[in-house]
Amino acid sequence: MRPNTPAASAAVTSQRLARPSFARIGRGLLLLTASVVFLAYVLFPVAWLVSSSFQNEHEIVSKPPHWLPHQPTAQNFAAIFEAGDKTVTYETRRKADPSSGGFIPSTASNLLPAMGNSLIVACSVVVLNLLIGVPAAYAMAKIRFRGRQVSIYAILTTRVIPDIALVVPFFLFIRNLGLLDSIWSLIITYLAVTVPFSVFILVSYFESLPDELDKAARVDGCSRWQTLTKVFLPLAVPSLVAVVLFAFLASWNEFLLALMFTQTPKSQTLPIVVASFTSDFTISFSFINAAGVLAIIPPVILALVFERYIVSGLTAGAVKG
Amino acid sequence: MARIQFKNVTKRYGALAVVRDLNLDIRDREFVVLLGPSGCGKSTTLSMTAGLEEVTEGELWFDDQLVNALPPHRRDVAMVFQSYALYPHKSVYENIAFGLRMRKVERSEVDRRVRNAATKLEITHLLERLPSQLSGGQRQRVALGRAMVREPAVFLMDEPLSNLDAALRISMRAEIKHLHNEMQSTFVYVTHDQAEALTLADRIVVMNDGLIQQIGTAHEIYDRPANKFVASFLGSPPINYLEGELARVGDALHFRRGDIELIVPQRLAARLGDCSGRPVSLGLRAEDVDERGEMTGGRTIRGRVTSVLPVGSDQFLGMEIDDHELFFRVGKDLRHAVGEVIGLSVDVNRLHFFDPASGKSLLWHN
Repeated sequence: MRPNTPAASAAVTSQRLARPSFARIGRGLLLLTASVVFLAYVLFPVAWLVSSSFQNEHEIVSKPPHWLPHQPTAQNFAAIFEAGDKTVTYETRRKADPSSGGFIPSTASNLLPAMGNSLIVACSVVVLNLLIGVPAAYAMAKIRFRGRQVSIYAILTTRVIPDIALVVPFFLFIRNLGLLDSIWSLIITYLAVTVPFSVFILVSYFESLPDELDKAARVDGCSRWQTLTKVFLPLAVPSLVAVVLFAFLASWNEFLLALMFTQTPKSQTLPIVVASFTSDFTISFSFINAAGVLAIIPPVILALVFERYIVSGLTAGAVKG
Repeated sequence: MARIQFKNVTKRYGALAVVRDLNLDIRDREFVVLLGPSGCGKSTTLSMTAGLEEVTEGELWFDDQLVNALPPHRRDVAMVFQSYALYPHKSVYENIAFGLRMRKVERSEVDRRVRNAATKLEITHLLERLPSQLSGGQRQRVALGRAMVREPAVFLMDEPLSNLDAALRISMRAEIKHLHNEMQSTFVYVTHDQAEALTLADRIVVMNDGLIQQIGTAHEIYDRPANKFVASFLGSPPINYLEGELARVGDALHFRRGDIELIVPQRLAARLGDCSGRPVSLGLRAEDVDERGEMTGGRTIRGRVTSVLPVGSDQFLGMEIDDHELFFRVGKDLRHAVGEVIGLSVDVNRLHFFDPASGKSLLWHN
């Protein structure tokens, strides 16, 4: 238990101060070192990604590698936004020298539309996750009905099936619906994968809220729907944020299903288009890295916006109380 | 205003029947307490009244309206919960006002009623706070206020005082009684605390195992228990039982067990009828003995003191009588040591007799 009276916390502080300072410094150093190592491990790939996106193709392969660009250039980003004008074909590919930069993959102009597709898919999946997941989770957590336990277990079971096992049935399903090469194919299949997990997060959170709260609201004059919107949702914000982040990231990063169902830029998402850059005549790593930097911006913005809810949201429901 | 009638109401969860064939007629503006141990079906009965649980079988009537299928928000009921169940994200003011807002009561009227209730409950200074900033007693008052402002026809309370400390519980009891006098509503109150039931109720409904054991005023329930369960549930320390048999000695009826022989007064003997030789279970309430009374034959029991437990106002005495340990409540001035053999005179007019097999009272059958 955390001490919450001034007297109690003062007592704890003085206790801490009374400890031998050597142990305190040692503990601090250990924690600091561990944090630095961990941060370096996590942030290094991102730092290299960002740094190399500002280098030209010549600099990126230099030995020893340049951790910071010696001749920073925005040409990769410029190329992304002007991709339409500089298409490379089989005939013109020798004109650009890959080693000196300036080479742009033939599919570069697909990048921004793909980003748009990714955003539409991810946002739709997020919204539909909330619209489906919240009422479902409330019902499973607070309404007694026949088949309640079965449905909770069924939902949990779907989470232990790897996505790749579902690719073939999904593909047949999508083809029969005539949705191949449409972003609807992605929205539908991503929902199938994300909704169970969202429901799972929300059920455990709603279950942690006392039943009497639900009863009090209903006696106070709320219908079931009003109980959900006026009492439970305001209390569930942290776990709603967890659901939003999870659904967004899962859709934004998804590769396998998108590779199966999308064939043209009409429906291709960012991961597919970025991956396609590696199957061109020549591979431009600096350009791919610039695309990668663009790809991480939306999730980072989302994380910053919801920052203060993230920690409590991810643990909310996991531990009762 | 509402009269509440349960007609053959049964509640089942799957195969488990938690309330069985309940028949209960609660009069308008009556204060009825449902009393029983946990799991006896009293809270479920309350939930059915609120509409939070469906009635599996039977009918539930509010006045002349069948309400079985009516959801809680369409019934004119308010409820106070054991855990208070305040909305953690709303201020005290909004907590109290919520029920009125949901019923589209006019803004100025909401404000008037909330402030009125707050003044009565002395929580005006807390209106802007959040529930987490309140003490248990204050939360309890907010919960009461939330129900009060609704001015409901039926006021339901589910063990509202059991989370409070002893002193607060007694003062809140008085306030609830006062509230009932003021509110012109029918009160249904659930508790497992006999003292709450005895002090608050117009009528007490004792329940056990999903069945009503007895319905009556505090006086009836305490002095004329219909069976051993009711007799045991009320009284502190609980009633003592001695298995023995009845025997006719001349004109008089005696209770016998080993060395113990008690003369059954005429009034009770008449109610028992002809039952000479019949095995019975004698019920003797802890307070129905007197250490100062005359030690005449036929109204005295003797035994060895096994424990002396002072409880302030008086003391509990454990006595071993004929291999049985019985507990009595005696005056605080009495000084006895453990191991001493003493005699107590019994108030034979207040004896209870039960059938040993069924546990039913032989004196008071309904």
